[in-house]
This record gives sequence, C-alpha cells and structure tokens, in this order.
Amino acid sequence: MEAVLFNVESGYAEALCRGLSSSLIKSAQYSNMTQCDTLEDLKLQLGATDYAQSLANVASPISTSDFQNRLFAKLVADFRYLQTTAVEPLSKFLEYITYGYMIDNVVLMVSGTLHHRNKEELLERAHPLGWFDTLPALSVTTDIESLYDVVLVDTPLAPYFKECFTVAQISDLQIEIIRNKLYRAYLEDFAQFCKTLPGSTYESMIKMLGFEADCRTINIAVNSNGTGLSRADREALMPRLGALYPVISSQLARSEDPEQVRAVVEQCAVPEFTDCFDSSNGQTLEDHFYAEGIVLCREALTQQFSYATFYAWLKAAEQEVRNVTWIAECIAQNQRERISGYVSLF
Amino acid sequence: MSTQKSNNRTLIAIIGDEDSVTGMLLAGIGETIKETGERNFFVVDNKTEDNEIVEAFTNFTENKKDIAILLINQHIAERIRPLVDAYQNAFPALLEIPSKDHPYDPEKDSVLKRVRKILGE
Amino acid sequence: MSQQREAVFPTRMTLNLMRTKLRGASTGHTLLKRKSEALTKRFRDIVRKIDDAKMKMGGVMQAAAFSLAEVSYATGGNIGIEVQELAKQPRYTVAARQENVSGVILPSFEAIVNKEVDDFKLTGLGRGGQQVNKAKYIYGQAVDALVELASQQTAFVLLDEVIKVTNRRVNAIEHVIIPRTENTIAYILSELDELEREEFFRLKKVQRNKQRDAEKLQIAEKAEKERLAAQESDAVQSVEAESTTENGAKNDDMNAFDDDADVVF
Repeated sequence: MEAVLFNVESGYAEALCRGLSSSLIKSAQYSNMTQCDTLEDLKLQLGATDYAQSLANVASPISTSDFQNRLFAKLVADFRYLQTTAVEPLSKFLEYITYGYMIDNVVLMVSGTLHHRNKEELLERAHPLGWFDTLPALSVTTDIESLYDVVLVDTPLAPYFKECFTVAQISDLQIEIIRNKLYRAYLEDFAQFCKTLPGSTYESMIKMLGFEADCRTINIAVNSNGTGLSRADREALMPRLGALYPVISSQLARSEDPEQVRAVVEQCAVPEFTDCFDSSNGQTLEDHFYAEGIVLCREALTQQFSYATFYAWLKAAEQEVRNVTWIAECIAQNQRERISGYVSLF
Repeated sequence: MSTQKSNNRTLIAIIGDEDSVTGMLLAGIGETIKETGERNFFVVDNKTEDNEIVEAFTNFTENKKDIAILLINQHIAERIRPLVDAYQNAFPALLEIPSKDHPYDPEKDSVLKRVRKILGE
Repeated sequence: MSQQREAVFPTRMTLNLMRTKLRGASTGHTLLKRKSEALTKRFRDIVRKIDDAKMKMGGVMQAAAFSLAEVSYATGGNIGIEVQELAKQPRYTVAARQENVSGVILPSFEAIVNKEVDDFKLTGLGRGGQQVNKAKYIYGQAVDALVELASQQTAFVLLDEVIKVTNRRVNAIEHVIIPRTENTIAYILSELDELEREEFFRLKKVQRNKQRDAEKLQIAEKAEKERLAAQESDAVQSVEAESTTENGAKNDDMNAFDDDADVVF
C-alpha cells in the first residue's frame, strides 16, 4: 500500500535519484583517475563520466579548485532539479537536508557581520545548497541584534536559534560553538521529522543521522581537549542521538585527553567505531568516518520506497566531489602516495 | 639602511591568495587590532586590482613599523614586479613564497636573481 | 701630475708626515681588505645557504599547502573566512637577534611562539579538527623555515651593502690614496735630492776653489821663498800685488758656476 502511494507522488523523483546514483563514479574509474599524471589527464578521464559537460569549457590551465567548483555546481543543479519535481512530504524532506548547509551560511553571516566584512563577498561564499531566499536579507543588517531578529523572522532555522541562544549570548559565543549547537538542534529535529515519514525512511535515516551525530560527538570529544570547554559545555554540543548517546557520549564529555577518548570509544562496542582510531595506514578519524558513512549510504540505496535514498545519494555525491578534488590535489601537488585516500561508493 | 631599528619589529605579514593566508594564519601569524580593524594579512583573489596590491605592499613595507618579515606569493609579486625588484630594504625582509597553484620558480625571485648573479651562474 | 700628488711644500717635515700617512694607509688597507675578505666569506656562505633554502622552501610550502587540502577534504568546506575572522592575536612572532660579523651588525630573526595564544582552538570542532591541528603544525614548521630564510636574506641584503662600501674603500686606498702619497713622497724626495745635489755641488766647487787657492798660495809661497832666497831684500811689495790678482780670479769662477747651473743639473 505504501509502495503504491510512494510511487504516485515521488516515483519520478526517486527514479531520477536512482539514475544519478548509478552514474556515480565507479571504483574502476577511480583507479584510472589515480593513474593520471596531470590535471588535464584527469579532466579527460572525467570526460567518461557525467561530469563531462561540467568540465567541457574550463579554460586551461585547469586548477584543483576548478574541479571542485564545477563538480559541485553539477551536484547542486541536480539537487535543485530533484527539488522542483518533489511534492510533500519529499519536498519538505529535501528542504530539511538543506538546513544543515543553511547553518553554515547563517554562521558565516553572523561571523561576517560581527567583523564588518564585505557582504557581497560573504554571499558569494555561501554554500549553494544552503541558499534560501532571505539569505541576502541577512547581509543588509549591520549589527548583531538586528541580525538575530532577521534570523528569527526570516529563516527556517528560527526554531534552532530560539532554542539555543538569546541575542545577548550570540555576540559572546565562539562561532564554532554556535555552529555546533545549531547543528545538534538540527540533527535532533531532522530525526523527529523523519519519524513522521512513511515506510522504512525512519529506519534508514536514523542510522545515517545517528552516525553523523556520533561522528560529531567523537570529533568534539577529541578536538575540545585543551580548549577550556567544560564538561557541561561539551555535553551541550553533542547531539542527543545515535548509538553513542547517552551513556558513551557523557563518558566522552568527561574524558580529559585523546587517549581517554580513544579508550572509551574502543570499549563502546559500536562496530562502526571500534577501529576508528586506528591510524596504522596514516588514516585519520575523518577517513574512517567517511568510509563508514559511505557504507551506510550504500545500504540506504538498497532500500526502496524510502526517502533515505535521496539523502544517501546526496551524501555519496558529496563524497564523490571530495574524492575527485582529493585526487586532483594529490596529482597537482605530487603526493602520489596519498592518492588512494578517496572513498568509493561502488 | 642599517641604521633602521629592528627591535620593535616582531610581526610576520603576508600578502597572498586565500589558501596561503589561511595556512599562515593557522600557524598563528595573524593579528587584528580590535579598535582599527587593522590587519597584517591581505588576501588577493582574482577580483583584486593591481593597485590594491600596491597599496597593501607599500602599507606593509613603509607604514606599518611592526613588521619584521613580509611574505608575498610569487605569482602576486609577479603582478607588481617592478616594485618588488626595486625594494632593497633590509626591514621588513621580503620573502617570495610559492602558492598552491603556482609552484616556486627561482628564475623570478628578486633576491635569488641577485644571489645567482653573485654565484656567477 | 698635480692630481697624483698632494700640494705640499717639499720639506723634510712634510716628508715625515707623508711617510706616516703612507704607513697608516697601508695598515688601513690590509685591515679593510681582511674585513672585506671575512665579510665576503660569510657572504658566500649565506648566498649558498639562501640558494639551498629557497629551493627547499618549495618543498616545505608544498607539504603545507597539502595539509590545507587535507583540511578542506575533512571539513568539506573552506575555512578561509572563518580563520581570517578569528585571527586576533599573533601566536607566532619574531625577535631580532644581533650578530657581529667583523664589525657589521647582522640581525637575525628568532621565532617566538606564544603557546598561550591560539585563536583557532575550536576550528574544526565538529569536523576535521585533527586535520586543522596537523595543518597548524605543518604551517608552523613552514614559517620556521621562512623565518630562517628571512634572517639569511636580511643578512644578505645588509652584507651586500657593507661589502660594497668596504670594497669601495679598499679600492680607494689601494688605487688613489696610496699612489698619491707615494707620488708625493717621491716628489719630496726628488726635490730634497735636488737641493742636496745643489748643495753638494756648491760645496765641491767651494772646495775646489779653496784647493786651487791653496795651491796657488803654495806656489806663490814657494816662489816667494825662492825669490826670498834669491833676493831677500825687496819682498813686501810683490806679495801685495799677488794677492790682489788672486781675489779677482776667484770672483770669476763663482760667476761661471752660477751661469751654468741650469745646464749642469
């Protein structure tokens, strides 16, 4: 029954998404790309992928940021197209996905306003996925009070802002704290929203969102060492979500040094994280997280009639842009031994 | 030239593209004076005009007296080459550094040109 | 000729003065030459080091740039703006240390890292903090290398200038002051010699005249004696006549000498 209804409304969008997912770069293509000697070669290799169009008219010499920008532009265009074909509740779901990027944009605006930065430059740097119609409105504000009001009135992030800060707090707080608090509220809210969606969406989504929350928790635990953040501060940044919440995350918040964090994580018996501190191959936390994240995406893509497919596609495509940029960086800067650091979906 | 005082010159300044500036700032060279918003770094992107670079360069070399070392990306130095080549002062010391997208070319470095001449190469 | 010697009056005192001056100049010359050599030696060291360091810098900076690429891979975005806004207080500063090379003060920069200050403590908190830390560390090393290079480059610029000045002075002493003093000394000597020879000749002449007079006198005395012996009575008148002619001849000789002076010498 669910399946019938799903296809009536979101069948086309899902088909599109499947199509996009299946044209993501395969590992054979990646290994071809790693053989390239110059960025021009890499561009040729990418000619065999969906990115051919995006890179067709880039003037030589091509730079690594060209790759990043062009590939990302395609991702954004695809996503926007999906959005236009979506109807409720998919459209709402897709909008929720963009909230994460909006947080970055709003934080960018807040910090820019605090430091009287050129507004146009700020707008240019805004993440295109996190663009919303009233974002430029933020840029006309000059002081933090009016900015706060505008954020509350005009942006979809209002509930998170209201929940997290008052105007007095915002100018005192470190920008990173604001960002992480907002993100925590966002993840929790997104998970709540997914509960209202039909089918297996919530099951898949809670896995991915929970994983994302766990990654952030571990990162915060590791990176907040020596920053003077108190235990309560740290705990207030860790999303109340995922496999590590609540027992392990509060243990993590209490840990004093990276070794302790490591011990806690390794004993927590969450399979995704048991070996995430293993740096024997020069891998970092982030490498492990990306690898695990892509596994979850793969799982989510096997589900049908689930909105999680869209989320998984977006994450995988994002990873793909990172991969290509990484390979381009390695080629451009002659760091061949690191070139296999990418994470392939298929 | 050697009479210039160097004792109160403690800062490292940079004129560079965004990546170079970000990196140097991460190393901790950056200073922003709260009252005036004056900074010891200048980001050059593809919209920056040559005369803005010249202005930043003269500001760092002549007006700001607390700079000991001025770093400048080589490809940016290339845009104001006559000014850089004419710069002979010991303070602040001028260093041309490579950037991510522009590998170092010793042929263009104004000091290295003089060095090479002395070594007779 | 007048440019190559100083306008002095050729006396023995000036000669002594000039000799002292020459001695001073050549001592100064050796000293300056030694200084210039010491500086040049140092200079060449520095030049070679700069050459190496500049080439190495390419590698260091590349590693640093790559660490930044890792940051953007891990954080999935550009942290540029954020970092620029957060930069408030320098953590990494330099102090000029001074070093004395043959009387030239060469400043060299020393890195001072204030561990208390860290504007970017929280950067990458939720994502990529490890990479940010790594980038901080690697860029710190890159700045170390750059500071070192800057020291050498400053030394290079200063030394270059000082060596130029010193060499100019060495050359001035060697090619202008010393030859000029030597010329002056030679001039004074030749003038003094000339005076001496004049004096000598005069003395000789006087001596010769005296000798001749003495001989004449002897001959006259001899003749006188003979004459006295022959005729002892009328002696007084003839002796007086003899001595008058004597005086006339002597005056003639002196005149001849004066006329010839320029030709002879």
